[in-house]
Amino acid sequence: MTALLEITDLSVDYGEGAGSTHAVNHVSFTLQHGEFVGLVGESGSGKSTLGFAVTGLSKPPAHVVGGSILLDGVDIASLSSADLREQRHGGIAMVLQSGMNALNPVRSIRNHFVDIFRAHGHIDRADWNSRAEELVAKVELPSSVLDRYPGELSGGMRQRVSIALALSLEPKLMVFDEPTTALDVLVQHAVMDTIIELQKKENFTALLISHDLGIVLESAQRVLVMHEGEIVEDAPSRQILESPRDDYTKMLLSHYADPRADVVELPGFEKRVASVSSRTRQKDQKAIVVDHVSKVYPAPRRGEPQVTAVDDVSFTLEPGQSLALVGASGSGKSTLAKLITAVEKPSAGSVRFGDLDVGSLRRGQFRQLHRDVQMVFQDPYAALNPLHTVEYTLTRPVVNFTGLKGLDARRRVLELLDTVGLSPVEEFAAKLPHQLSGGQRQRVVIARALASNPQVIIADEPVSMLDVSLRAGVLALLEDLREQWGVSLLYITHDLLSARVVTDNIMVLNGGRVVERGNTAEVLRNPSDEYTIRLLDAIPNPGRRDVA
Amino acid sequence: MTSVTIAPGSADISAAPRITGSGKGRAWAYVARKAGLLLLTLWAAITLNFILPRLMPGSPADAALAKLAQNGPVSDATKAAIEAQLGVPTGNILEQYVAYLHQVVTLDFGVSYTFYPQSVSELVSTALPYTLVLVGVVTIIAFVLGTLLGVLAAWKRGTWLDTLPTLAGSFASAFPYFWTALLLLFFAGYVGRLFPTSGAYGPTASPQFTLGFLGDAIYHAALPALTILITSLGSWILGMRNTMISTIGDDYVTFAEANGLKPRTVALRYAARNAILPNLTSFGLALGGVVGGSILVERVFGYPGIGYLLFNAVTNQDYPLMQALFLMITVSVLIANFLVDILYGVLDPRTRR
Repeated sequence: MTALLEITDLSVDYGEGAGSTHAVNHVSFTLQHGEFVGLVGESGSGKSTLGFAVTGLSKPPAHVVGGSILLDGVDIASLSSADLREQRHGGIAMVLQSGMNALNPVRSIRNHFVDIFRAHGHIDRADWNSRAEELVAKVELPSSVLDRYPGELSGGMRQRVSIALALSLEPKLMVFDEPTTALDVLVQHAVMDTIIELQKKENFTALLISHDLGIVLESAQRVLVMHEGEIVEDAPSRQILESPRDDYTKMLLSHYADPRADVVELPGFEKRVASVSSRTRQKDQKAIVVDHVSKVYPAPRRGEPQVTAVDDVSFTLEPGQSLALVGASGSGKSTLAKLITAVEKPSAGSVRFGDLDVGSLRRGQFRQLHRDVQMVFQDPYAALNPLHTVEYTLTRPVVNFTGLKGLDARRRVLELLDTVGLSPVEEFAAKLPHQLSGGQRQRVVIARALASNPQVIIADEPVSMLDVSLRAGVLALLEDLREQWGVSLLYITHDLLSARVVTDNIMVLNGGRVVERGNTAEVLRNPSDEYTIRLLDAIPNPGRRDVA
Repeated sequence: MTSVTIAPGSADISAAPRITGSGKGRAWAYVARKAGLLLLTLWAAITLNFILPRLMPGSPADAALAKLAQNGPVSDATKAAIEAQLGVPTGNILEQYVAYLHQVVTLDFGVSYTFYPQSVSELVSTALPYTLVLVGVVTIIAFVLGTLLGVLAAWKRGTWLDTLPTLAGSFASAFPYFWTALLLLFFAGYVGRLFPTSGAYGPTASPQFTLGFLGDAIYHAALPALTILITSLGSWILGMRNTMISTIGDDYVTFAEANGLKPRTVALRYAARNAILPNLTSFGLALGGVVGGSILVERVFGYPGIGYLLFNAVTNQDYPLMQALFLMITVSVLIANFLVDILYGVLDPRTRR
């Protein structure tokens, strides 16, 4: 039997002439009928560019400069756009990374299906409705979604709808480009299950593009590892897991561990034995005391119940301590962070920081709170002003909070850069955000949080946007800060592995309530709450295939 | 497929936003809400129009008396006559307010000073059709035409269909209104003698609903219409082109292409349909400005519309006329905004919630 897809010597460039870059460099591989193949690589590896080239969707400045893409013997790269459009029915379909935004906000879901049926004419007009209902049922949605608009659906539902739309083309090959990246862990898990089941039932060939080796190894039979525009390894999943040949594959694998294991080790991250005496404690360190706090938001629309985001939560964050706040989106963890930083006021209970009552600060006191309690945000790409150099970004809080000026302020800025491991410091000080990698940006964000000599850092998913290979470094930095400066850490995440390595204690939130708390390692190894167990099960784990 | 088991997907389905009420019920609630808002703002505008002149010192009668007093003493009889003629408020403020509201509702704005003894409402009702038809129709034509050209330019980005309208549009809209008007007046009016240079209809015609008169009116409206079209078309082209270029880059457009929809469908129903939404706001503002914003054009072409009337009212300190015109301009902005709000509701399901 011949291969379904045969890619030979494919190259894709960005731009033309001297300024062009090779995003995909002489790549060759084949996909057999009915295979489920994963394509793994970190950001910038060219995997999405390859995905778009395969589906004939490359847009300027990206363009195919060489090689062939044979689908059932027909070269897609040489087809005219009209012919390419014709072959989309029964050819290649694609599910995009940000499936959340893949639907036209002003068209009902039913019309999305109708548009496709009308364009290809492969379904009788009389059967349009029943066919659309059948398709949404395949992705486990009720037929009532057909009369909804995209804005009325959750992210997971929208991604399911776009899978159903792609399916309506009756494709031979489905390309999934990071289909679950923007989704919450539990939802991510559920959507992946649907994809795997569909692939078996509908018998299409699947190419799953992802940065997450865990997800790919759980679902794919064969894995292509991509690095700097080239495929560095092409092997069955089991072989990748047990005996990876390429160093890059080995490196990716080394960043996965089971948070339930006795000892968890990540490369570049060593957990020191925490001992309070070894820490150089700052003077008069204060604890954050959250006492029976609730936050209730008014009903979003009349006639609806009000929303209880945080429900009677109590905890204390002692100086130098690290506490993980874990839960899916909507569990109230971000609201809790807002209550602690005085962005929101509690509806009941109190938040205290030392002798400050955070819930009822007066104007002048905000400054005091914000000097001692600083935030590190999730998205390092959005948290820095692209027009300002690193030095400017850091000088502002230094001047505002410490009163240092001129050379002293500059010295402090360089010191901060050194603390977060960005050296040579002079060079990094002069850079603009776009000249930095994601990991480097997140370090700048952390340095900015440190500028005021804070006692507490609240880190909201600080590594979830970063490639796995960069995560360990940022986590190690947070750990160092705690060790050396006695900064206490409130670590908000849905990633249990990173929670395991950077925190002593953990609190699991569900629906605004604390459902489980205790020592991090103990809770993760012997979870008692059903929700915690589900979260643990949802973690993509390269090793799971062996267990099953 | 009524009973679908939703076991694995339940995690994300339960997280869906709640949706209340039927589609129709929500649509009517939306219209009712907007209409309520319109009535409230209308009342506020009318009331402001009542309060503001009363906060000013003096009255039209005082001004007239002061003028007369320069020529010698004014007798009591003259004074009483002038006050009766121009109207001096009687009764307390509440009674005045009620009387004023009654006048507004019955469109009784008093007598014009300039065109004495014609009433203000008579003057306005004669001028209004000319402005509404001239500026209103041209504004709508400019919006539709400019938007279509903008869609085409964005879709064929980089080709002559893009560069030609974009360049021509920005060139023409960079000209000041009156300059374009003067150029047209000179070349098409005086030199070419293609179109009349002033007035809304010929000297022999009289306003009536006959084909002959309509043709004559359109013939006279050609130059001012062309002026407005030329100067406003460019910004519609550019506005639509730019928003559409950004929607073309959106994921739903890429996904529509990946699904093999026809290019026409992708361009119109996906890219353009979303790109037009932000432009509706500017369209609303332009429509609201139709009544008040045509002063220059009507002045240059001697076109007897609202703008021309307003110009006369201001230069002659014709308070009753001014007050009525200002009120009308405000009201027309409010109504245009209401219409655009409703249009938004029809075009964008997200606003209906």
